[in-house]
Order: sequence, then structure tokens, then C-alpha cells
Amino acid sequence: MEKLLEMNNFFKNIIIGLFSVRSNLTRVILTASGLTIGIFTVSIVSAAVSSIDKEFAKSMDYYGNDKVYVGTWPWSFDFDWWKYRNRPKIEESSLEYITQYSEYITDVSIKKNTWTRATYGNKASWVQLNGVYPSYQDMLSGTKIENGRFFSQNEWDLQRRVIIVGGTVRDGFFQGKDPIGKKIRLNNVTFEIIGELKKQGIGMVPGGTLDNLVIMPSTTFERILTRWGFDELVLQTSPEDIPLAKEEVGMIMRVARKIPPGDDDNFAVNSADAYMEQFNTMKNAIAGMGFLVTGISLVVSAIGIMNVMFVSVRERTREIGLRKAMGATNFNILTQFLSEAVAIAIIGGSVGIALIRLTVFGLASFPIPNFNGATLPISFDLLLVFYTFTVCVFIGVLAGLIPARTAANLNPIDALRDE
Amino acid sequence: MAKSKKEIISIQSVSKIYNLGETVVKALDNVSLSIYDNDYISIMGPSGSGKSTLMNIIGCLDVPTKGKYKFKDELISEMDDNQLANIRNEKIGFVFQTFNLLPKLNAMQNVEVPLIYSSLGRKERIERAEEALHIVGLQDRMTHKPNELSGGQRQRVAIARALVNKPSIILADEPTGNLDSKSGNEILKFFAKLHKDGNTIIMVTHEESVAKLSKRRIDIFDGKIARDE
Repeated sequence: MEKLLEMNNFFKNIIIGLFSVRSNLTRVILTASGLTIGIFTVSIVSAAVSSIDKEFAKSMDYYGNDKVYVGTWPWSFDFDWWKYRNRPKIEESSLEYITQYSEYITDVSIKKNTWTRATYGNKASWVQLNGVYPSYQDMLSGTKIENGRFFSQNEWDLQRRVIIVGGTVRDGFFQGKDPIGKKIRLNNVTFEIIGELKKQGIGMVPGGTLDNLVIMPSTTFERILTRWGFDELVLQTSPEDIPLAKEEVGMIMRVARKIPPGDDDNFAVNSADAYMEQFNTMKNAIAGMGFLVTGISLVVSAIGIMNVMFVSVRERTREIGLRKAMGATNFNILTQFLSEAVAIAIIGGSVGIALIRLTVFGLASFPIPNFNGATLPISFDLLLVFYTFTVCVFIGVLAGLIPARTAANLNPIDALRDE
Repeated sequence: MAKSKKEIISIQSVSKIYNLGETVVKALDNVSLSIYDNDYISIMGPSGSGKSTLMNIIGCLDVPTKGKYKFKDELISEMDDNQLANIRNEKIGFVFQTFNLLPKLNAMQNVEVPLIYSSLGRKERIERAEEALHIVGLQDRMTHKPNELSGGQRQRVAIARALVNKPSIILADEPTGNLDSKSGNEILKFFAKLHKDGNTIIMVTHEESVAKLSKRRIDIFDGKIARDE
């Protein structure tokens, strides 16, 4: 019973605190806006980071977690172009060595890359071109043939002008109608569409979206587009063998290229996990910066609340004296001012959440121009509301504690005498 | 003086000493005093005489440096802050010279303030506050804010607030000091009525005419009781 009465008192003090928030609404809103901005940015940063993460993982599917790529350049964000520019091109002949000597590689394909202009009637668009082996059909990752078929060994042997297209071609050229059997022109040569890839949506990595992709036999690619592009070797292994396979392929490549011991590699063996690692470093740097900046803004807004609370205590010294004379204990006064500070913080946080909700809603309803109806990858999480609430209570208590203690410890006689 | 009456307050050899840096101020010097049920006391004295200090100690806002202060059977001089707060809440009603009403609360809410710190429920609080405002004749002004009331009315709200917890004593510090003579007289008449109804009133005042209306007069000079009759 005693406890219950005390609880009752506790809530009464909270109500007194809230009452004074209501009577100083303008000041409260101005103070709380600092926290609104803080909460808003912190949420946007975390939402952005988690969305980037998701999108990146999706993009990484394109490279697959079970493949090793041999190319001229390492996949890296801190790219030292001068070091790599004089490296020799990747030779298709290396594949023979790899197939012959490797234990871990189960399948191989060349991947010739270039960008070219695709036209259909009076429509034109830039597409990414890949010239590959028929075996590449089983090595497609992050997508699959959804419609039609891949090219056959026969078509590869005969250098047929057949292509498999990504999802953009359907929407861009054929108003969403079935493109199979239609003919489009690539670099002014006519090709027949025999297959269509599953549409994937916007990706994060350059060249990491399959929607803009056109795949054809590497023999056809070579005959028609040989002067452009660069080659990559795509090597199939299993996810757990990636590290060993990379090491092994590196050695085989050195032998194939007759690189003397002690000399540096003049090629690069890449895989998605290494890319992921690099990406994570970058993502953490972004998140770190974001959270540092927003952390500072939260501290600043806490100081703002503390300042207003000191002003409030100063203004209401007589009231505190009076309440104490009427029987308020130190704890009563402490609770009153703490709940005032927490209320300010929660008001700020709630407005922040409302803004985030609006922003997410706004971003989701307006597609990004020229991105095939895709929207900015950002999402709103209910957990966010919970976190924000917790952070606000924490900041309110933190900011209110010293002013509330000052108020609670005032001597009633001096407080009553205050002018 | 009616010695047969029940003793409420017993102050024995109480001193209050302030250390102000190098100088030591003896605000109260070995004061002994008894206050009885249904007393109507005025405490007089020039400024700096120690009458405010005595009021603060009687009102449990402060504790003596030396000596014993007993309120009924409770030893106030040994209490901590929370115990003092409870005594103030339950046993003492304060009336101030400057009314000290909270400007953003209406008359009713102002009267309710002491009840908030007691264990009463909301319904009972409202009943008690209404009753107290009835006693001071402000039943028609319950929802008025202090700035919508006259000086005399404000002081009556303050008296209602002092009465609302049914205290053992009412402590009034210059209750007419901020009022014109007409309103002041009304308030004094009201105190007389409260006294007649059985309340114990202790009033600090400067004015001889005010002091005359009380039944017992205590003069303080240099921290000592100079007269008590």
C-alpha cells in the first residue's frame, strides 16, 4: 500500500512536470527541435546504411559467392590506376591451363565486356555487353533465364547473332511486351533476342546490375566487337573453396604467363567476398562519420535541453520554495523537473520520427527519374520508434539530471525569498 | 494565558548560528517558547532581530543549531529533509506576505498544491479544495487565475491553501503587508474567525495595530525573546 501511494505521488509529479511543459510550449518546441534534427539525421543515416547494405548484397549476387574472377585489375575502391595500366590483357588461352591443372575450378568461361549502343526502330539505349561461353548458362548468378533460352554450343561455334537480354530491354524497347524473337541492333549489327533475364532492380555496384545486360556468344562478340572491351575469366568453384581456389588460380596464372619468381603478379584474382570486405570498410566509414556527426548533434541538443532546464529552475525558484514549504520532498521536485526534461526530449524525438515517416513515404512514392520505376532504397522500421524513444528518455534524463538536482536541493527559505 | 491548554510546540534553549565567512551571526540565542492549542500569537521585532529565523524554525523550514524543538511528540530538531517535508505538509499551513500563488494555476489548483504531496486521491483532493475555498468565501472564484483576483482575494486563496490539509498551526508572515487597509482588515477579521473556530495562528508582523488583535504577543530583539505576554 505504501509503495502504491508512492507510485501515485511519482505520477503526480510527472503530471506537474508535463503541465509546465504545456505552459512554456514555444520554448519547449524550440529546444526540442535540436533533438528533432538529431534524431532525424541519426535515423536517416542508419536507414541509409542498412538500405545500402541490402542493395549491395543484392548487387553482389551478380558476382556470386562461388566464383573466382581473373582480370587485369583488382576489385578495389582505392584503385591505383597507374600501377595496373600497363598490365597485359587477359588471354583466353589461360583458361586451358586452369581447366587442365586446377583442382578447385569446376567450370570456366570467358567474359568479354563492353558497352555499346542498342537500337530498335527509333529508340536507342546504352547496354552492357558480355561475350561468354555456352557454359556460362550454368554460371549465371543473381538472375536466371526467365523467358526463352540461352544460346547453344552450336550457336557459339557458328558465331550466331543471338542475344539474351536483361529486364530493361523489354520495358525500354517493347513497352513491356515479350521481346523473344524480336531483332534489335547492336553497334549497327542486327541480333535476334532468344532469351530474357529475370529483372533485378537497381543495383549499387558499377556494372553490377543485370537489367541493362546483353549476353551473346564470345565468338560473335569477338567477330563484331573485338576492338573494344576487356576480358575476364569467370571460374566456377564452391563457396568454401574460394580462398584455396584463388591461391591455386594465382599460381597457375603465373606459370601460364611465365612470371619469374619474385616478380609481382601482372593480373588480379578477384572474388565477391573480397569486394564485400572492402565495401564493409567503406560502409563503416560512412556510418562512423554519420553517427559521429549525429552524436555531436545529440550532445548539443542535450546541452540545449539542460540550458532550458536551468532557466526553468531559475525562473521557478519561488515556486520550488513554495512547493517545498507545502510539503514537497526533494524527490518530488527532482521527479517534476526530470519529467519536464524527458517530455521535451520525447517531443523532439516524436517530431523527428514523424519527419522520418514523411521522408520515407515521400521517397517511396516518387520514383527516381530514368531508373525504370525504381525508388531510392530506404525503409522505415518500427524498431526505430522504440530506439528513438529510448534515446530520448536517456537524453532527457541526462540533460535534466543536474538542473533537477539543483532544484531538488534548493533550500526552501532561500528559494521563497528569491525575487 | 491559558496554561491549561494542550501544548503543541515546545522550543527549549534553541539557538541558530550562521557562519558567514569570518563573522558568526547568532540569529537566535537560547530561545525557549511554548505554543498551545488555539493560541493566536503575533511575533514582532525590528528587521534582523531573528523573528524570521524563529518563524522558519517553527515552520520546520529550518532546524536549530542547538537546542530542542518538539512538535506535539515529534522531535523536529533531529529530523532529515524528507521528515521535515512531511511535517510541513501535514501539520503546518503557510500564509505569505506576497501570497505566493502559482500564476498559471487557477484558485482551485493553487489550493490543491499541498494535497498533491499528501497521499489523497484526486476526488478527495477536489472535495477538500472546494471546502477550503468555501471557508474563505471564494466558492465563486474557483476557476479564476491569480491575476483575475484582487489582492484580498488572492490572500484568501492563500489562506484556503494553508487550511486545506487541516494543519495544527497556521503560520502567517506579514499577511497584510501587501494589502490596502480595507483588504488587510478583512484578512485580520478572517484570522480572528479562524482562531474562534479553534485554529492555532502564529503571525509575524511589523504593525502594532495588527499585533493588538492577537491574544498573545512575543517581541524578539537581538535573537532573544524580549517580551511574551
